[in-house]
Amino acid sequence: MAGVSMRDLRACMVCSIVQRFSDFRARGCPNCEPILGLANHPEAIQDCTSRVFEGLITMAQPTQSWVAKWQRLEGYVPGVYAVKVVGELPRDIVSALEGEGVKYIPRDGRDVDEDR
Amino acid sequence: MAASNFANQTFDESEEEDEDFNPQPVAASDDENEGVEGDGDAGPKPSRSNSAPRVRPGNDSEDESTLKRRGISPRRRNGRPNDEADEGIDDELDGDNGDDDEGEGEDLNGGLDDDDEDEDDDEDEEAVTGRPRKRRRKGGLNQFFEEEAEVDEDDDAEDDEDDLGNDGFVADTHPDDLAALPEGTETDDRRHRELDRRREMEASMDAERQAEALRERYGRRAAAALTESVVVPKRLLLPGVDDPRIWGVKCKVGKEKEVIMSIMKRMQERQHTKQPMQILSAFERGAGPMAGYIYVEAVQNAHIENALDGIMNVYPRSKLNLVSVKEMPDLLRVTKTEELQIGAYVRVKRGLYTGDLGVVEDVESNGLSVTVRLVPRLNYGIDEDDKNPMLGVNAKGDPLAKRKRMNAVGTNVVATRPPQRLFSENEAKKRHQRYLASTGGALTGKAWNYKNETYEDGFLIKDFRIQHLITQNVNPKLDEVTKLTKGAEDGTERLDLESLAQSLKNNTAENSYQSGDHVEVYDGEQKGISGRTISVAGNIVSIRVEEGELAGQVVDVPMKGLRKRFREGDHVQVIGGSRYRDEVGMILRIKDDRVTVLTDMSMQEITVFSKDLREAGDATGDGRLGNYDIHDLIQMDPATVGCVVKVDRESMRVLDQNGSIRQMLPSQVTNKIEQRKDAIATDRNGSEIRYGDIVREAGGESKSGVIIHIHRAFVFVHNRTQPENAGVFVARCVNVTTVAAKGGRATAADAKTNMAMHSKNGDGAHAPMAPPKSVGRDRMIGKTVTVRKGPYKGVLGIVKNTTETTARIEMHSKAKVITVNKDELIVKDPITGQTIDMSRFGGPRASGSSRPNYSSGSTTTSRIPNDWSAGSRTPMGAGDGGRTPAWGASARTAAWAPHSSSSGGVDGGRTPAWKPQSGSQTAYGGAGNMTSYGGTTTGFGGSGGGGGGRTPAWSSSARTPHAGGEHGFSTSDGFDSFASGGRTPAQGATSGSRTPAWGGGGGGGSSTFSAPTPGKPYDAPTPGGARLHEDFPTPYGSTAPTPAASASTPRFAQDAPTPRGWEAGGGNAPTPTAGAARGANTEPLLNSRFEAAPTPGVGGGMTPAPYGSGGGVGGYGGGGMELMRRRLQLGWARGRGISIVMRSDDSDSGSAGVGSFVPCWAGLGGLGWACAVA
Repeated sequence: MAGVSMRDLRACMVCSIVQRFSDFRARGCPNCEPILGLANHPEAIQDCTSRVFEGLITMAQPTQSWVAKWQRLEGYVPGVYAVKVVGELPRDIVSALEGEGVKYIPRDGRDVDEDR
Repeated sequence: MAASNFANQTFDESEEEDEDFNPQPVAASDDENEGVEGDGDAGPKPSRSNSAPRVRPGNDSEDESTLKRRGISPRRRNGRPNDEADEGIDDELDGDNGDDDEGEGEDLNGGLDDDDEDEDDDEDEEAVTGRPRKRRRKGGLNQFFEEEAEVDEDDDAEDDEDDLGNDGFVADTHPDDLAALPEGTETDDRRHRELDRRREMEASMDAERQAEALRERYGRRAAAALTESVVVPKRLLLPGVDDPRIWGVKCKVGKEKEVIMSIMKRMQERQHTKQPMQILSAFERGAGPMAGYIYVEAVQNAHIENALDGIMNVYPRSKLNLVSVKEMPDLLRVTKTEELQIGAYVRVKRGLYTGDLGVVEDVESNGLSVTVRLVPRLNYGIDEDDKNPMLGVNAKGDPLAKRKRMNAVGTNVVATRPPQRLFSENEAKKRHQRYLASTGGALTGKAWNYKNETYEDGFLIKDFRIQHLITQNVNPKLDEVTKLTKGAEDGTERLDLESLAQSLKNNTAENSYQSGDHVEVYDGEQKGISGRTISVAGNIVSIRVEEGELAGQVVDVPMKGLRKRFREGDHVQVIGGSRYRDEVGMILRIKDDRVTVLTDMSMQEITVFSKDLREAGDATGDGRLGNYDIHDLIQMDPATVGCVVKVDRESMRVLDQNGSIRQMLPSQVTNKIEQRKDAIATDRNGSEIRYGDIVREAGGESKSGVIIHIHRAFVFVHNRTQPENAGVFVARCVNVTTVAAKGGRATAADAKTNMAMHSKNGDGAHAPMAPPKSVGRDRMIGKTVTVRKGPYKGVLGIVKNTTETTARIEMHSKAKVITVNKDELIVKDPITGQTIDMSRFGGPRASGSSRPNYSSGSTTTSRIPNDWSAGSRTPMGAGDGGRTPAWGASARTAAWAPHSSSSGGVDGGRTPAWKPQSGSQTAYGGAGNMTSYGGTTTGFGGSGGGGGGRTPAWSSSARTPHAGGEHGFSTSDGFDSFASGGRTPAQGATSGSRTPAWGGGGGGGSSTFSAPTPGKPYDAPTPGGARLHEDFPTPYGSTAPTPAASASTPRFAQDAPTPRGWEAGGGNAPTPTAGAARGANTEPLLNSRFEAAPTPGVGGGMTPAPYGSGGGVGGYGGGGMELMRRRLQLGWARGRGISIVMRSDDSDSGSAGVGSFVPCWAGLGGLGWACAVA
């Protein structure tokens, strides 16, 4: 990953992991794949990932990191995450998430005030 | 199988031992193996978290034990983990090589993949290798390790695995192993069986239920990851002391992301090494206040250096900034990007429309792409034809051309792009019919597709990704907005301030609030309070509350919830980015934050946002507007200046140099021109005018006033009695005449301007004349002189250089050059040390330069005319004041001249010589030359009246006459007397007092003239002379007396000059003169001046001489004479035309003008005289 171009990176709108489009297409989102099923679904990738994100986090040890806790990355795989992901999940995906018992946390900063 | 395994194992062991001998390079990888085994030992703990336990470095001792144990135990437990570990390692190696995308992708994700993918991979692999069983069984075991061993697997790893002969490790657990295993193993086994059972159960379920169960299983897992902390509000997640710390590490600005990626890469590289990265995470926040730093989370800062050492662009060895626990959340604060609303304004970041304002037409549901309406920039292929007709063809085939074109669209467009213009299908049809297609419905017909872009209602409708748009701080300008506004049905523009507000809402400029503004809080916690701003710091405005229960308190409010409060009728000024900036007006209506203002200047209603308004300072009552005060001179444009004549609250009225009034805003003023009090101009008559002088318009309304500005050819004059324009009017310098100089500055004595002209002015005559300049080397140069006064009094030196008034003297006493006024010098004989009369020098010179003039009747005559000027017009017309007659008299003067000349040509010669001496060389010459010129002339006139050639000279210096008289008229004496006289005139010139006195003296005869030329000593005589001349006897009698030296003068007159002069001229001075003049005028004047000159009898000839000499001999060059002569002839030929010639010459500068002028007059004068005689 390192050394490769920073272009064409996308961030998952659910877990905020940052990968290239080709990676999403090949393997999907390492954290959300069961729900989102991005692998081999370019349209789904377009919908559920965003090219607009800010702040990169190298998450080495998600289990122990406070950053992971704060960013709600605990339990995710180590990797590169975004601090903020701009974009909105399609409604049906959100409802699908809800159906899975997952509370979707938008990562575009909109709920910051509410949570504090 | 076990045996073979064992054998393999021992082999492994020996290998390891070898490696121990040769530790470094290979050891690492082996250690890694051991490490993994160690993990296995530690228990079949989930290898998913293996990175943490594996942190342990230096496993050698453990290795030993592990090996032992391994030797005993079957490979079951080691099998999978080992395999997977190996695979993981290989995987990373692959990743290192960066050989394929997928590998990298996995790396990114920490080499962890989903089980599903594992399965897939396995299947693929089996398909390829055809290896039968292993994977299946592995699959079985995988079930066992499912949760725990989510370690990456890769196909390539299998080969290595095979090489190592690890197949055996997948064997069943040997009972012995079980015994040797730690406690957990049992559990594992149980779980294994449990899993098996579950699988069976699952297998028995129907598909649907199975699916559901599956989903639940994964869902749970996902939910576990996704929802883990969802329930926990963020405030409970705030860091505590037990949490890892975060350090800020400096890095190269702009390279933050790369650094993070590098860390990620290193993390993966080291994941399975002895020294894995011990940091927990690292992050950056990109541009903004946190640029130049990355933040690393670690337990102790030693880990950071360890982890970051050697990574490019990051400087872990510089000071690490520990972030306090309290601030940690702030590092990760995320502010929501303002969502684009339909109708909001954006700017395009790149491409043809860079910087152009657009309106959001539509926002895609994910908020990442928007449709924007823009004003198109199209040229409809005009340049294609003009510049590069082949482009259309090349664009297809030639990549170079294509690239060029892309460049043209990409980078340099902004400079060359077409202007914004609404789409015109007609234009498009002209050349690009083929690109044009109507897409609009039949009803509208206004939508077009042109070159794959959509145009509706003339606007371009284009999709942009949000990152290619500027969405914040767009600051739309009203004119831009207007362009983008769709016209309503009736053609009126429908300006949607609402949407404008949308865009403007959040980009309050920092300076939009100033202390003292009335504000109210319309949003946020303090909503509703109002007060005055006290201070502004960033986005926080401190307000002193003026109403309500909080009254008197100071409250800090974020700017975004604030707006200015105005009341209807307030007088406000528009500030900020609005098009109406600086407009001032009264508030008519207020609706929300939109305020309608009636402008003071144009009486238009404008609508602006309240944030762009501020109270117009009524405090501008000090008469100032910014930097501009009334009567200030300002630069309006490069070619125009103006004087502020009225200062309104926010605007001012300016009287420009052309006399027109303009209303201006301070912002329109280019520059203020500072008062230049030393500016000097010359008025209509050539006298200098300065700031503060009182002048009068020469024409028009003859307004007068005090000069407040002189700018180039314009004077701005202030007249207190004039009501309009604050009393200021503008005039050209050449159209004003000096009434009084400021502070009584003597305009005469030190003026560089022509006194004669002044005198004439007084008479209402025109024809200003530039002074003749002395030409040639100053004869003072090289003379030995002493200074007779001043700080250098007594100093002996040699004149090295001179100006008109000063001389630079090299002192004999020491090597120093001093500058002294010429009139403070006494010329000494370098050998004898005796004082030399400069008049003696004058002699030769006179013969050299002035004589000729003198001798040439033209000059002489010309001089006379000079004084004749008045007379010339009305040559004999006595009507023109006393002068004309005077001229008549001066004609007599000419006559008189003959007297002097009769007394001796020398005499006449001297007179001139004398003049030049004192005149041209000394200060007298400088100022006096011209003045003296007129003066002398007049003097002559007077003298003529007086009856002595000298007398005139004397007359100019009232006292001298005495001397002169005493000296007598003997030529030699005359010289002396003249020498002294030479000075005297100078004095006379400098001190005007005498003249008046003189004038007074002469005034007995003629009081009138003294008035017009009060300050001018020389002028006075003229009239006097003139007057006197009128009645022959009087002149003689009176001239002499007039000089105050009445006693002597008369005597003088009678004694020296008169006798001779009179002898020649006798009592009938005029007559002879007349005769002479006539002769001179008719023929001699024109053709043979020399003749006229020598012949004393020829009054005209002689007379001129004195005049010429008096007038500044130096000024007359031979060539000038010739010229004059021609002019004169011309003048003669044309009669009245002469005066024209004269005038045109007058406009020339320098002596030539004077010269030519004079002759003309001379001619006229002669004529006039002749007439008179006739």
